[in-house]
Amino acid sequence: MRLGPATLANVAGSVVLAFLVLPILAVVPASFNHASFIRLPPDTWSLRWYQAFLNDPEWLRALIASTRVALLAMVISVLFGTLAALGLERVPARARRALLAIVISPLIVPVIMTSIALYYVMRPLGLHGTILGLALGHTLLAVPFVVVNVGISLRGVDPYCVRAAEGLGASPWRVFRTVTLPLIVPGLAGGAAFAFVTSFDEVVISIFLAGVQAKTLPVKLWETIRVEFTPVTAVASTILLAITLVLFVMVKTAMRGVSAQERARGG
Amino acid sequence: MAAEARSLGFHGIAKAFGDVPALRPLSLDIAAGEFVTLLGPSGSGKTTLLNIAAGFVVPDSGTLSIGEAEVTSLPPRKRDIGMVFQSYALFPHMTVFDNIGYGLRVRGVANADIKRRVDAALAMVQLEGYGRRRIQQLSGGQQQRVALARAMVIEPAVLLMDEPLGALDRQLRKQVQLEIRRLHREFGRTTLYVTHDQEEALVMSDRIGIMRNGRIEQIGAPHDLYRRPANVFVAAFLGESNILRGTVVDSAAGSARLAATGLDTEITGPCAPGVVPGSEAAAIFRPEAVTFAGPGQPGLPARVAEVVYLGELLAVRLKLRSGQDVWRRCFPGADDPTEGRDVHLSWRTEDVRIVPLDDQPNEGGLTC
Repeated sequence: MRLGPATLANVAGSVVLAFLVLPILAVVPASFNHASFIRLPPDTWSLRWYQAFLNDPEWLRALIASTRVALLAMVISVLFGTLAALGLERVPARARRALLAIVISPLIVPVIMTSIALYYVMRPLGLHGTILGLALGHTLLAVPFVVVNVGISLRGVDPYCVRAAEGLGASPWRVFRTVTLPLIVPGLAGGAAFAFVTSFDEVVISIFLAGVQAKTLPVKLWETIRVEFTPVTAVASTILLAITLVLFVMVKTAMRGVSAQERARGG
Repeated sequence: MAAEARSLGFHGIAKAFGDVPALRPLSLDIAAGEFVTLLGPSGSGKTTLLNIAAGFVVPDSGTLSIGEAEVTSLPPRKRDIGMVFQSYALFPHMTVFDNIGYGLRVRGVANADIKRRVDAALAMVQLEGYGRRRIQQLSGGQQQRVALARAMVIEPAVLLMDEPLGALDRQLRKQVQLEIRRLHREFGRTTLYVTHDQEEALVMSDRIGIMRNGRIEQIGAPHDLYRRPANVFVAAFLGESNILRGTVVDSAAGSARLAATGLDTEITGPCAPGVVPGSEAAAIFRPEAVTFAGPGQPGLPARVAEVVYLGELLAVRLKLRSGQDVWRRCFPGADDPTEGRDVHLSWRTEDVRIVPLDDQPNEGGLTC
C-alpha cells in the first residue's frame, strides 16, 4: 500500500476516533470480568457483577430514579421546547436569533453555575432532593435540543400546506393537530430522545439536587467510585451506554424515515 | 348539495409592504360564477390581491365582500373559499382521499357523505380509484388535479387559484388548462385566477385584468383586450404587437390619425380614450393583421429581414426605412417571402389601434 496523503489522513482520523471511543467501550468488557477488580482484558468472563448490580436495591433504585427523572424531564422539555419552537417561528428574524440564544444559553453557561443557582432556588421550594426537582433541572439542559430539533422540522413544513388547511376552514388548533404536528413528529422524536439521554447521564446538576429519595444512576456511580473501585460501576456504566446507544439508533432511524419521506416528496 | 357560487368584490383596496406600495387603491367586482384572471408580470400585485381575497393578507384600506357579506377582517377559514396553489400544497402525510376530504371533515360532514363526495370529486378530475394512493406516488399533473378536487369538493363560494399550472411542463399545462375550463363551465364556481401566462388567461377567462405596479391597467373580455388594448403595456403584454410611435395629428369620433416618427407616413385607426391631437401616442397592430400590398397599391415600404418557421405559422421580420422592426405572421404558402425582398406593408384600418403612450413604455415584449 502506498503511503499517500489520503492514507495518512485515514490513519490519523482512525486514531482520533479510537481515542474518542475506545475508553468508553472499555467499560463493556470490564463489566463482564469475574475478578473483584477491574482488569482489561478480563481473565475470566462472568455475569457475576450484573447479578450483584441487580441484587443491590440501591443500584436498582438509582436506575429507576434515573429513568423516572429522564422521562419526566423529557415530557416537560418536549412540551415547552415545542411551544418555544412554534413561537420562535412567528417572531421576526432578529428577535428570533436573540431569543434562541437565550434558550440555548444553559448549554453555554458553566453547568456548575446553573447547579448552584438551582440549588439556591430549589431548596426553599422543597424541590431539592425530589424527582421533580431533578427533572426540572435537567429540563434546562434538555430544552435546547428539543427547540433546535423541532425548529428544523418546522422549517421543513410547507407554509402553503398550513394555508391550504386554513383555507379549507380549519381552526388554528385543528391545523396544528392535523397538519403541523404530524409533519414535525420526526423532530419531536429526535428532540425527545436527546432530552431523555441528556437527563439520563447528567451528573453535575444531579449531584447538587439529588437526595436520598432521588439519587440518579450517575450520582450513585460517582458516589460509589469515590469509596471503592468495584466492577459494579462498570456494569452501571455499560447500562448507561447501552440505553444511550439504543436511543441514538432510534433517533437515526426516525431521521432516516424523514429524509426518505422528503426525498419522495421532492421526486 | 350545491352550495352557491357568490360574487367577489374589492372596493378601494390598497396595500403597501413597508414603503413599497403593492396595490394602489383599486376596485374590482367579480360576478357570481364568473372566471376572472389577473395577468401581469411578477411584482404587479396580482398575488397580493388574491391573498387579500383569501384573507392571508390584510389590506391597509378598502373593503372586501363575498356575496352580500363584508369579509375584510374575517380569517381565511370563515370565508368559504377554495384555494389552489402553484406548489399544490397537498398534505404529504395523508392519502389522496384524506386530502380531498379534509375540508368536508372540517365541516363535520358525515363519513358516508364524505365518501360519496370525495369519490365524485375524484371522478370529476378523472382520478377514479386513486383515493388510497399516497401523494408521493402521484405525478405533478395528478397532484394538481387532487389539489383542484380538494378545493372544489367543499363547493366554495369563491375559488382562488395562484398560478396553479406554474410547476407543470408545457404539455401538461395545456391539458390541465382545458380541464380547469371544463370544470368551470360544468360547476360555475366564481373563480379568481392569477397567472403571468397570457395563453392560460386567454383560454380560460371570462374576463382578464392586466395588472402592473399595483394597478389594474385594463380589464375586459379576452377578445376585447386583444382587439382594443387601452395602452402600449396591455398591447405588448397580451399577445404580440407591432408598435409604431408618433404624434397625433387629429382625432375625432373614436378615431385618430398619427404621424409616425421617422416614417414619412400617417397611420389612421380607432383610438383609445386619452388620445388627443398633439400628444405622443402609438399605433398598434397585430402581426397577423399585416399583409403585403399588391403591385401598384399604396403601402409602407419595408425589406424582409428574417423569415422564421414556427411550424403551422410563419413569422416574418420586416425592417422599415426608419430601422424599426415590424412582424408579420401568416400561414406558410406559395408566396412565402424571401429574405432581402422589398415589399410594401398594408393593413386594414380597423385592425389598427391608436393608444396613448403610458408612463413606462414597454416595447421589449415583442418576439417571434
